[in-house]
Amino acid sequence: MEEIVRAEGLKKTFTLSKKQQRIEKTGETRRVAVDGLSFSAYRGEIYGLLGPNGAGKTTTLRMLSTLIKPDAGDAFLAGHSVVKEPERVRDIVGFLTSDLKLEGFFTPDYLFGFFGAMHGMEKQVVAERKRELFARFGIDKFAEVPVKDLSTGMLQKVSLVISIVHDPEVVIFDEPTNGLDVLTAKVVTDFLCELKGMGKSILLSTHIFSLVEKLCDRVGIIIDGKLAAEGTLEEVANGDLEKSFFALYHERKGEIV
Amino acid sequence: MKLLALMKKEFHRFFHDPRLIVTMLLPGLLIFLLYTFIGEISYADEARSYKVYVAGNSAVVVGILEQTILERGDKVEWLPLENEEEARAAVEEGEATAILKFSENFDPLGEGGSVGIVYDRGSEDSLYFESIASAVLTGVGMRFSIVEETVKEDATVGAEFLSALLPMLIVCFIFSACMSVTLESVAGEKERGTLATILVTSAKRSHIALGKIIPLACISMLGALSSFLGVALSMPKLMGVSFGFLGGYSVWSYLLMLVLILSIVPLIVSAIAAVSALSRSVKEASAYTSVLMILVMVVSLVSGMLPSMGDWVCAIPVFGAVVAMQRVLEGGLYLWQSFLAVGVNLLFTALFVLLMTKLLSSERVMFGK
Repeated sequence: MEEIVRAEGLKKTFTLSKKQQRIEKTGETRRVAVDGLSFSAYRGEIYGLLGPNGAGKTTTLRMLSTLIKPDAGDAFLAGHSVVKEPERVRDIVGFLTSDLKLEGFFTPDYLFGFFGAMHGMEKQVVAERKRELFARFGIDKFAEVPVKDLSTGMLQKVSLVISIVHDPEVVIFDEPTNGLDVLTAKVVTDFLCELKGMGKSILLSTHIFSLVEKLCDRVGIIIDGKLAAEGTLEEVANGDLEKSFFALYHERKGEIV
Repeated sequence: MKLLALMKKEFHRFFHDPRLIVTMLLPGLLIFLLYTFIGEISYADEARSYKVYVAGNSAVVVGILEQTILERGDKVEWLPLENEEEARAAVEEGEATAILKFSENFDPLGEGGSVGIVYDRGSEDSLYFESIASAVLTGVGMRFSIVEETVKEDATVGAEFLSALLPMLIVCFIFSACMSVTLESVAGEKERGTLATILVTSAKRSHIALGKIIPLACISMLGALSSFLGVALSMPKLMGVSFGFLGGYSVWSYLLMLVLILSIVPLIVSAIAAVSALSRSVKEASAYTSVLMILVMVVSLVSGMLPSMGDWVCAIPVFGAVVAMQRVLEGGLYLWQSFLAVGVNLLFTALFVLLMTKLLSSERVMFGK
């Protein structure tokens, strides 16, 4: 199997502000979010990073999508280093997270063209891809409606499609179904299956066991910024993913609150 | 291509939103209406009657001056200057309006010379005559210098104070034009998370910075131009002079003013853009920018009150351009000082673009909580 994503000893530390220290009732000024994380994802599979809130999943995905730089270590996407070739990596990665929003004033049609241009695509290629993706996901019906007037489901579809405007080799989704109602969440899971069908390599983070069980080929369990387990779903779950996860958590952290 | 797409997006956002267009162009219209109204009120009183002592050969200039005064519906009586001491006393006591002193061999169409205007700042009639005479003499484009002299040094300041105030007003209008579009476009996009979506693409940070600053500066220039036109068109009314658009200043003076104004716009836009990039929300950026605006206003106001500053002040960003504008408004063509001010403004714009690029590349600034 060909490695498409390889993380090697990724480390990221954040400085805690006074306010954060007060909220978390801690005196520490530095917080290690990701601590020497290494894992590999293979071409054409869905790889899930499973972990509780604050485990370092989002930070890891942000480093992989080059939004933030690792303090130590490196990651390679299709052989390109996130540290040394961030611009090249951005052209082969599609990143979707709830933190990235679309300007409500513009229409899906305009935004698709704009983000196509942002990835240096030719107008004709963008137009062709727009026709194909808009038809496939039913966006053509509301392509000229300003984003601010779209329903949550429609908006999610537009965000998903725009994140892959440049036909990336790797698609990274951070907590893709978080905060979505059941219908919109289904739009997302269907979309992920479609992408897998298209031969894309997908990396997603979640704390929802059912999502991992439903979608992922391989899974990495992350606790306190460290990889606690990695393997195929069968290897890691050992028959019951939830049970295996809590056993690992108990082993690493002690009691479960 | 990416830079072009970024710029097009900003223009599209602005020109497809009627509210933004109105907010940008309204100040110019308001300035025009307000100043015209002030001018109408100030000069709507009954016809004035001037009594002016004249010394020297000056038939051409006096003729033009008389024509302007008569067109305004005022009257003027010219008296030959025989004893300057007595004439000065008459002006001081309000028995005469002013003294016009033409230099020896005065030749407005040839060699030039100088014209002295002795007036009383404390007298409304004298002040009006001075502003008309000064505007007419500057506006006719002849080659001579004007020497103004007041009989009372501590007299109240009227029209001159307003002239000193104008550049400050212009800078304030520019600032608000830049503020309204830049805060929304940079701090607004950052707050809403739409800027981060652009940062995930492979566009260079410098292109993203320029893709914001260039179109925002162009749009703000429209706003500044609207304010400038408002001022230029209402100036004749405000100054009480009725000879059209230019209000007593030469075309070159206006062009120089325009260049100075246009050089301030990108500097203010890039400064506000950098402040916006640093801020977490529009509210925060707006608070920081207000401090910046107060600073610029105070500096502009101070420049009008300190007439004896050296030319070196033209090397201070924004302030230099304000000083140069004031000097142009005072009736001269301060070319090298103006170009120095423009150059400094452009240099600082480039520095702010670099700073903005750095800020866009900083994960702490862009994604820090």
